[in-house]
Amino acid sequence: MLTDWYKAKKPRKIGKQGNLHNESSNVKKYDVIVVGAGPAGASAAYFMAKEGLDVLLLERGPFPGSKSCGGTSLIAEHTHKLFPNFWEECHCERIVIQQGYWFMTEDSLLSSSFQSMKLAAAPYNHFTVKRRSLYQWLVDKAKAVGAFVYFNHHVAEVIFDGTQAIGVEVSLPQKSRFFANVIILADGANSLVGERSGLIPRVSPENLALYVKETIALPAQVIEERFNLSPGYGSLIGLIGYPTAGFNGTGSIHTFKDSININVGLAISDFAISGIRPHELLDRVKMHPFIQTLLIGGKTIEYGGSVIPEGGYHAIPKLVHPGLLVIGDAASLVNGTHGINLAMWSGFFASRAVYESKKNRDFSVKKLSLYRTLLDESFVMQDLKANAKIASLQRELPYLFDLYTKIANDTAYHVAKVYSMPKKAKRKFIFKKITSIQPILKMASDIWKILKVVKG
Amino acid sequence: MNKIDDRLKFLHYQIDEDWQHVIVIDEAICQNCHNKQCLTFCPSGVFRENKEKKQPLLILYKQCIECGGCRLICNNIDFSYPKGGYGVLFMEGEEQL
Ligand SMILES: Cc1cc2nc3c(=O)[nH]c(=O)nc-3n(C[C@H](O)[C@H](O)[C@H](O)COP(=O)(O)OP(=O)(O)OC[C@H]3O[C@@H](n4cnc5c(N)ncnc54)[C@H](O)[C@@H]3O)c2cc1C
Ligand code: SF4
Ligand code: SF4
Repeated sequence: MLTDWYKAKKPRKIGKQGNLHNESSNVKKYDVIVVGAGPAGASAAYFMAKEGLDVLLLERGPFPGSKSCGGTSLIAEHTHKLFPNFWEECHCERIVIQQGYWFMTEDSLLSSSFQSMKLAAAPYNHFTVKRRSLYQWLVDKAKAVGAFVYFNHHVAEVIFDGTQAIGVEVSLPQKSRFFANVIILADGANSLVGERSGLIPRVSPENLALYVKETIALPAQVIEERFNLSPGYGSLIGLIGYPTAGFNGTGSIHTFKDSININVGLAISDFAISGIRPHELLDRVKMHPFIQTLLIGGKTIEYGGSVIPEGGYHAIPKLVHPGLLVIGDAASLVNGTHGINLAMWSGFFASRAVYESKKNRDFSVKKLSLYRTLLDESFVMQDLKANAKIASLQRELPYLFDLYTKIANDTAYHVAKVYSMPKKAKRKFIFKKITSIQPILKMASDIWKILKVVKG
Repeated sequence: MNKIDDRLKFLHYQIDEDWQHVIVIDEAICQNCHNKQCLTFCPSGVFRENKEKKQPLLILYKQCIECGGCRLICNNIDFSYPKGGYGVLFMEGEEQL
């Protein structure tokens, strides 16, 4: 029964019916409508409203960040260039002075980590922030310079006049339409608006990773003791190997003022094939002997799951359409798991293009392509391009993370262990041990492939 | 003890009693589906096995956390975001509204 009801509510092709010109002449027309008040959309709205454009920002949740769980890291340099001294305005939880990678097997952990007090002074390196404070801060900035922001507004589809985007249709409960010269899609990794409007092809389950996440409350002092930090400072740790159960994927630990996030994720296709339950993968990580000890006395206060685009450079869809731009996660602009800064910058570049288009009263693809040009020239595309090879390497060697993590741990174990044999014999013994895990020729060929990619 | 339910109690929801935003398109297809990957995939356990043959799956859409992943693992699943203002709310440890 519900099924039928739902089908009746399926998005209709609105662009082809009715006389839209008549309708749009009766209602207010904005310069630009932004769909989604995440870092991408809110940044775009802010920079455009600041230039005097008439901006409408639509968000489906009831407040900023209501649909996004936990916290994230923020690259200070990239953010500072857009929002000078942002750390004085945006509530940051900890200044990151320690970054590490933990290569894990079932019972071992090989860590590589860097920490320095050089990272503790302006302009800093990384911060950890809660999503709610970050999203709220950006939305407040946009509002302060005159952007209209409507919450509880879920955009169902783009409205077209021919191929030119001219507005958006908001679903129930409002069931209303808004019109503008330019539409910016910033609706995140699962851009259903883009897909249903025929602008973005359906993402493949190989290119989208599902992450599950828990926020665990611990007193600030306990966090500082366990991670060896002075008050106010924090660490970011990437987890590789064991946490993803033999599949390529990653996990991470973020430290906040009085909580930590643990997350872990795999490609959606890997979850589907493996039958691994996402929350069980999270338990696997939490129960690891060297993570368990970090969590003693902690209390889970939130659980969540969301997707990250992981297709990299080659998965980026067409970003410029007549009267429409795609930014942030909706545009697949994520490098590894870093997306916040790319989202903000793509919002900024889009604002430049819209501003120029408005000045020339020209909203064609040609004029709006300034957005793509600015992106291409920036760190956003340069970094994505550089990483594209690593993404394809992972596809070619799907066992990469897991196997070499095992080898590295095994080697470290044998190096650390005191044997009653001479040094030279010990080295031979270790070599034998390693090559028993992966034949030497196979290893040499993998290393060759890795070197080719790393050296570019 | 159900580990998912334990976790969902930390979340807040604005429940839409009138409209189900995640649905199975054709229940007959589920009857012949061997893998039933929806049962393990969903991070909030929306898909549950049902004893009744005619309706092999229960869709507990009210506990969906809107990751949007299910629509990509099976063509028989249709997912839209809930209507404006409805669905999950992440409020981290705050008391229920
Ligand atoms: C577990 C996890 C950890 C991460 N960690 C990091 C990290 O440490 N550092 C980092 O840089 N990046 C991280 N990322 C990536 C980062 O979260 C994203 O790249 C970033 O949030 C993208 O911003 P966005 O504005 O494009 O999209 P989002 O942040 O997803 O915002 C989209 C907004 O649009 C709204 N919306 C969606 N559809 C509609 C609609 N139809 N109508 C109206 N509104 C709509 C949503 O409610 C949301 O508010 C992480 C991601 C995940 C999942
Ligand atoms: S929804 Fe898809 S995966 Fe789940 S039982 Fe039905 S056909 Fe199988
Ligand atoms: S969107 Fe995610 S949480 Fe909701 S039913 Fe689908 S898989 Fe489950």
